[in-house]
Amino acid sequence: MFGYPLVNVLGACLIITSMMVVLARTGRVTACLYSLQSLVLVGVLASLGAVTGSSELYTWSATAFITKVVLVPAILLFTLKKIGNDAQADLLAKLNPMKSVALVAVEVFVCFVAVSGIDLPTAAAVKPTLAVSLAHFFIGLTCIVIQRSIFKQIFGYCLMENGSHVTLAILAPQAPELVEIGVATDAIFAVVILSVLVWRMAHYAHTLDADDLCELKG
Amino acid sequence: MDYSQMLLVLLVCPVVAALIMAVLPAKSTPRVVYEGLHVVSLAGVAVLGLTLVVSTFLGSDIFALGGWFHLDGLAALFLGLIAVIAPCTGVYSLPYVAHDVADGKLGPSQVKQYYVFFSLFVFSMILAVTSNNIIMMWVSVEATTLSTVFLVGVYRTKLALEAAWKYVIVCTAGVAFGLFGTLLVYANAADIMADPHQAVFWTAILPNAPFMDHSLMMIAFVFAAIGFGTKAGLFPMHTWLPDAHSEAPSPVSALLSGVLLKCAILIILRFYILTAANVGDGFPQLVMMILGVLSVCYAAFEVYKQTDLKRKLAYSSCENIGLIAVCFGIGGPLGIIAGLVHCLAHGLTKALMFCLSGNIMMKYHTRDLHKISGIISVAPVTGVLFAAGCLALAGFPPFAMFVSEMLMILAGAAAHAWLIVVLVLIALVVVIMALIRMITGSALGKAPADISRKDVSPLALAPEIVLLALVVILGISLPGPLATSIEKASAIVIMYEDENPLNGNLVEEALAAIVANDAPEEVFE
Repeated sequence: MFGYPLVNVLGACLIITSMMVVLARTGRVTACLYSLQSLVLVGVLASLGAVTGSSELYTWSATAFITKVVLVPAILLFTLKKIGNDAQADLLAKLNPMKSVALVAVEVFVCFVAVSGIDLPTAAAVKPTLAVSLAHFFIGLTCIVIQRSIFKQIFGYCLMENGSHVTLAILAPQAPELVEIGVATDAIFAVVILSVLVWRMAHYAHTLDADDLCELKG
Repeated sequence: MDYSQMLLVLLVCPVVAALIMAVLPAKSTPRVVYEGLHVVSLAGVAVLGLTLVVSTFLGSDIFALGGWFHLDGLAALFLGLIAVIAPCTGVYSLPYVAHDVADGKLGPSQVKQYYVFFSLFVFSMILAVTSNNIIMMWVSVEATTLSTVFLVGVYRTKLALEAAWKYVIVCTAGVAFGLFGTLLVYANAADIMADPHQAVFWTAILPNAPFMDHSLMMIAFVFAAIGFGTKAGLFPMHTWLPDAHSEAPSPVSALLSGVLLKCAILIILRFYILTAANVGDGFPQLVMMILGVLSVCYAAFEVYKQTDLKRKLAYSSCENIGLIAVCFGIGGPLGIIAGLVHCLAHGLTKALMFCLSGNIMMKYHTRDLHKISGIISVAPVTGVLFAAGCLALAGFPPFAMFVSEMLMILAGAAAHAWLIVVLVLIALVVVIMALIRMITGSALGKAPADISRKDVSPLALAPEIVLLALVVILGISLPGPLATSIEKASAIVIMYEDENPLNGNLVEEALAAIVANDAPEEVFE
């Protein structure tokens, strides 16, 4: 089971791990599961590199390992340590686990249907993974919407970013490395800034509950 | 130094200033050092930016760094906005920050944070308008969010942090849609182009756009419109806008509303041009029209309803971005010209109004319009500028927005988009009512007894007078070179309609079309 089937199987693993990230109860476990998920992402990038012969994808998988498997979880765990009060960061999601799973299942189904209509030679052999990457994006969005803890909402952004990363690898494997570095650096900066904001929220406003942050009515 | 090098120096200028400020120790560095670096950096942006804009208007496109950066007539208009508004709001920042320091709202570390991120914000906007690499365009739009989040939350109050959080979450999630749209365009282009490495460059994609997959391009445009529309503040993705604009310091609100929203509009326009070249202009016009009309109708009533001065102005930005989208939705030479003129007119007017809101907050220490009255008695120059700004924002002559709104109505009439014209006019009447009420209730009226009768410092008033003067100049008569450049910019947008070089005067041709009752576009019948 090598080549494109391996890419598609790893794509399926991405969905399972992202579901685990959404359902995790504590901030610490969420960070560890996110690291695991990013490891699967590294696998997807490396296997795509092997299949397409794109040397850029190997470089991407190396940078993804450093940034997503190591750096991002480390930054988030450090933030958790700085906050100190786990109870706020560990607030449970607004939606119960069964409903969350059902919602994600619907999103995955819709994405598979949407991708089936796309006729793009670059992605012909990895359509399931393309659907997964699109679904990933919406799972991330779901994570942001359903989480009460703003600390856990950061993982929603990270999942969306992972989805974009896989899409970039599938659709643009020959893209200049500088582009990938730009996207990856941007993600790191975003996580750092979100983490600083979470820390400031805990420090100055003494809450990490999204329901408490409704004084400004958009 | 040639123009390519000048473009790179323009990009480097605010980054260097930000880096120098970042390494200075916050507590032991006097505020004047930050102010000096800030002013020098913005002076560089003004001089280099305007030189490049003028050279683009007079000559050909400028490319730099192997095609990664590109300044054409369209980008030059938006770079012009940055080169004018950033220095104005930058100068206004000096008395504003000094006042906040004196009030105890900002400490040394926050002052440093303000000036560092202000420079980074200016850099990211210049990057956004000059990027030719479509993925770098996305990175730069994302960078505008990341560089401004600490400006929005600089006061570190619960409300400021809440606004900053909503801003960063909504915009990063929204702009991620833009990345998907960008990737679809890239993949589509890479499939048909001989050299896939060239498929990241907008100028390289454009000639190949007609041969790309139609359905993919339509999906990509929808993603781009949603993604970058979030950043532009289009309904229903606008939710971050009133919160961020109202909680940010006033000079930052001015820059956000006056320039940043327009940068996002420029990126949408880039995708609009590609999509129109691929599937015709009907589809992108329809998407823009839907988003535009919804934004205008929703925001107009919110403008009327709000009692917080800065939230009122923020919803007005949402409404005006909607008007720009409606202009592009109407399309045709006149519609595009109307949209571009409205970008300039609204940018200058809204920068003026947000700076004035800063004056008012310095005097009244509140944004609640129920508590703000008699500005003309309390601070005469601010009061007169405020009344003039309200009239300008309401679209009265002789101010610039009168010209753009009139052009929009004419474009709508030429396209026989009567329903759209009627809806927009109703919304504009509601906005006029809201702004007239603000003049009668706040600019005029009885001044509270406990507020001292003295205007804000001349340094705060000077950039506002410059902005108002520009708004009046654009309203009375568009200067010749600027009018020509707007025509050139609109020609870039509609080049897919006619591959031959445009010989005549676009405005005259469009007006002739109205006289002849010959609709250039019949999309909305």
